Amino acid sequence: MNTTLLQVAILFATLSLSAFGGGKVVLPTMHHDAVQVRPDYPANNHQWMDDEDFVNLFSISMAAPGPSMMVVTLVGLKACFPYGTAIALLGALVATLAMFVPSSFLVYFAGNWWDHWKDSPWRHSVMDAIMPISTGLILAATWIISKTSIHTIPTAIMGVIALCLMLFTKINPVLMMAVAGVISWAFLR
Amino acid sequence: MLQLAGLFAFIGLTSFGGGITAYIRRLVVTQKRWLTDEEFLPGLGLVQLLPGANVVGLSVYIGNHLKGPLGSVVALGSLLICPFISTCALGFLYFHAGKTADTRALLAGITAVACGLMASMVFEAGEKAIKGAMDIFLIILTFALVRGTPSFELFDHRIPTLPHLSVPIVILIVAPLAIWWHRPRPSKGLSSTDSGAS
Repeated sequence: MNTTLLQVAILFATLSLSAFGGGKVVLPTMHHDAVQVRPDYPANNHQWMDDEDFVNLFSISMAAPGPSMMVVTLVGLKACFPYGTAIALLGALVATLAMFVPSSFLVYFAGNWWDHWKDSPWRHSVMDAIMPISTGLILAATWIISKTSIHTIPTAIMGVIALCLMLFTKINPVLMMAVAGVISWAFLR
Repeated sequence: MLQLAGLFAFIGLTSFGGGITAYIRRLVVTQKRWLTDEEFLPGLGLVQLLPGANVVGLSVYIGNHLKGPLGSVVALGSLLICPFISTCALGFLYFHAGKTADTRALLAGITAVACGLMASMVFEAGEKAIKGAMDIFLIILTFALVRGTPSFELFDHRIPTLPHLSVPIVILIVAPLAIWWHRPRPSKGLSSTDSGAS
């Protein structure tokens, strides 16, 4: 139990400080470490859940209120779930704090010297440099999630339709999720 | 202070799926007039640059700006408390319901939209990121390192399989290259934003 809590804390504290471009960019590493995917490389495989659970938890967190990265709460919850409800909640709390507190400290302290850099051309350089990296990371996250979750043609079509609606209209994504969930439940069961 | 807690609890409850910095700006700058745009926008730039969710970083920045360190703690805490409770509740619901045909079908639809949402973020981020061919290369390099690559033949040399590298390590590899490429170049103007194709 203590080992699991510690593993949760270390994993998310590390990811907290590398989530350049928002929490979603660290999904591939979170997936890799939380799910058993590579038996030949067991050091960081905690086997807390299977692929399906990971994808489902991700979807639940996207549909629920809160910052986009509440999936960490669910991963912590699931990791400690075998040890009982109280420990599971503790796991969820540890995961959430580990994900959000280190990056918040960074914002707090960096805010104080940020203004000194206002006129430095390097500020633009760093921002220009981080954008493509973030894009690559989001692309990797999208690829991992889609690969693990979309197995049938109807869900693939729904995903593409959702993408088009997202790019060209201003329909609320949560509304789309609700509609897609009901359609899928009604026709794909 | 109570107002601060109330506002961020409200933001926490009403924000779905990310991408709500414009919404926060409207609440804090336009409606409440707690900050001016001159105070808000540098904070937004800062949290976009630093790791972590933008909403979370903004709550810390605004809380600190208005009420000091305690304000940061209050803003962050009230932002996360309601989503934390509701997310845990949904999690328990899912674990107890288990993977039945019903939950599978329902979640398959939600996941499909979530994938579409993620893909749309790739397009939005890519639009801002790509200023030249090098940016496309950086995107592909980052993607390949995170994903891992299968082994392939290149000029009669066997390139071995590359396993998934964790995101922190990928950033340590790609960031120096990217910053070096985008370094300030006086010959092309004040900053690298001016260089490259647009």
